[in-house]
Amino acid sequence: MMRRLARSVSVTSLVVLILPSLLFLTGSMQLSRVKYYMLIATTVWFVTATIWMGRRDD
Amino acid sequence: MPDEQRAQQSQSQSGEFERQPVPRGALLGFKSFIGMYAGEHCAGTELMIGPLFVAAGVSALDVVGGLVTGNALAVLSWMFLCAPIATRSRLTLYFQLEKICGRNLVTLYNLANGIMFCFLAGAMITVSATAVGVYCEFPMPGLNDLYPNSVGWVLAVLGVGSIIAIVAAYGYKTVARCANIAAPWMVLVFLAFGIIGLRQFIDASGTGASSPGDLWQIATTRIWKGGAPLEGQVKFTFWHVTFFAWFCNMAMHIGMADLSVFRFAKKSWYAVASAAGMYVGHFMAWLSASILYAYQLHLDPADTNVLPGPMAYRAAGITGLLCVIIAGWTTANPTIYRAGLAFQAILPRRSRFSVTLVTGLLATCAGLFPAIAMKLLGFVALYGLLLMPMGAVIFVDYWIIKRFNLQRYYAASNNKKFNIAAAAAWIVTLVMCLVLVQAGVIQIYFVSLPGWFLAAFIYVAVSKVYQDRIRPDAHFGSTERSK
Repeated sequence: MMRRLARSVSVTSLVVLILPSLLFLTGSMQLSRVKYYMLIATTVWFVTATIWMGRRDD
Repeated sequence: MPDEQRAQQSQSQSGEFERQPVPRGALLGFKSFIGMYAGEHCAGTELMIGPLFVAAGVSALDVVGGLVTGNALAVLSWMFLCAPIATRSRLTLYFQLEKICGRNLVTLYNLANGIMFCFLAGAMITVSATAVGVYCEFPMPGLNDLYPNSVGWVLAVLGVGSIIAIVAAYGYKTVARCANIAAPWMVLVFLAFGIIGLRQFIDASGTGASSPGDLWQIATTRIWKGGAPLEGQVKFTFWHVTFFAWFCNMAMHIGMADLSVFRFAKKSWYAVASAAGMYVGHFMAWLSASILYAYQLHLDPADTNVLPGPMAYRAAGITGLLCVIIAGWTTANPTIYRAGLAFQAILPRRSRFSVTLVTGLLATCAGLFPAIAMKLLGFVALYGLLLMPMGAVIFVDYWIIKRFNLQRYYAASNNKKFNIAAAAAWIVTLVMCLVLVQAGVIQIYFVSLPGWFLAAFIYVAVSKVYQDRIRPDAHFGSTERSK
């Protein structure tokens, strides 16, 4: 259950990682906000992906 | 139990199969190869190669067309040169070479391979160290710098390199796991670099971009403008980009290093998975990195320094810096580890820990000199050239040599430790190619193509003389072919 949740959160974090740059491309977001969201998404990815990725029983 | 049998049983248990064909039960599915190639080819050095294309004055059509063509040729080389032999013999590169060349010649090959791995890892350490400079603000090397140019730079490289060397020696498996975790994140950060850079160019142009035609206009007039290269750089055309993209992993496909990878593939067509690495790492990542550099030149044409750290920080802030550090770190780590293995084959009595540590420190010393990273396009071409002739030897030995009534796996069949024909093919090809490059007859980016045919010819010709002289009464062709 924990691993499934971690997997969902980490996949979502990857979406959050790339989405701000697309919004910046369309002119809907400032670059400072893009950098901020990318950092949050990065932190979430590394915390949650560690829980489920590359484990022996995967 | 005999020693050889015991060694084989131990390898089977570890799953490495270093001196025996991979058994059917250990074969891997197609997906394993997609993930591996996509992750491995999105590395720290991509952040140098993309900008160096811009510094080489490449035009938009040449870079896009050249990368599409060259990467396709690289994938075809994996599919039709490397994988068919790998899935038939199912041996590692080193064992296959040992059977052809003999142990002593393979030792020489290991030495050359290990040294080149050290330099490559040095370039990756250089890339990571540029990220340190963003916060510490010491003078960093310029595009044409060959030597370290400040005490701060030396300390940054020594710091980053020492950490990488110690971690590679202590905890290879941990970093390998970190690399797997970082791979999908890193691919998306590279993509974000390109998207953000594109928008910055749209803003800088002041014209807006409402259609693909507008974007292409910006690409041709502001990003990859063509024209003269920057001072000290070679002008890149469509053919340069094509051959560079094709040959930058030459050691792996034409040079046959990936025999060790595809021996685990159920079918040879699985090598098409290399396209994931080529079109993610060697297309998207190179173009993204080159957009960042072109934007830097747009802001200040005098700022020609290729420094991934500051460029990535400008585009994506701390995430960009992390990407530079992690991309350099996770790719330098296995490179140092591989170099250590190559050296350990020469010094088997030394522990893997001490050999890897010393190798990492050698790579750190190489990383002090920015010349390797700043001249990465030429270095990568040289790296491919150095290992290519042995790929030609393996290809000829597997498919062609019996047609000339000569013996396959000559060293193993005759208990030889040094196959003169293979050594001649390697050394003479290298010397002739380098002489042609030095004389200005052909550039290093192209010389490996005729070099491959030269190596193949020399191997057959010298084998004909050598094998006939050693075993004049042998008639291998009829008996071998009937098997």
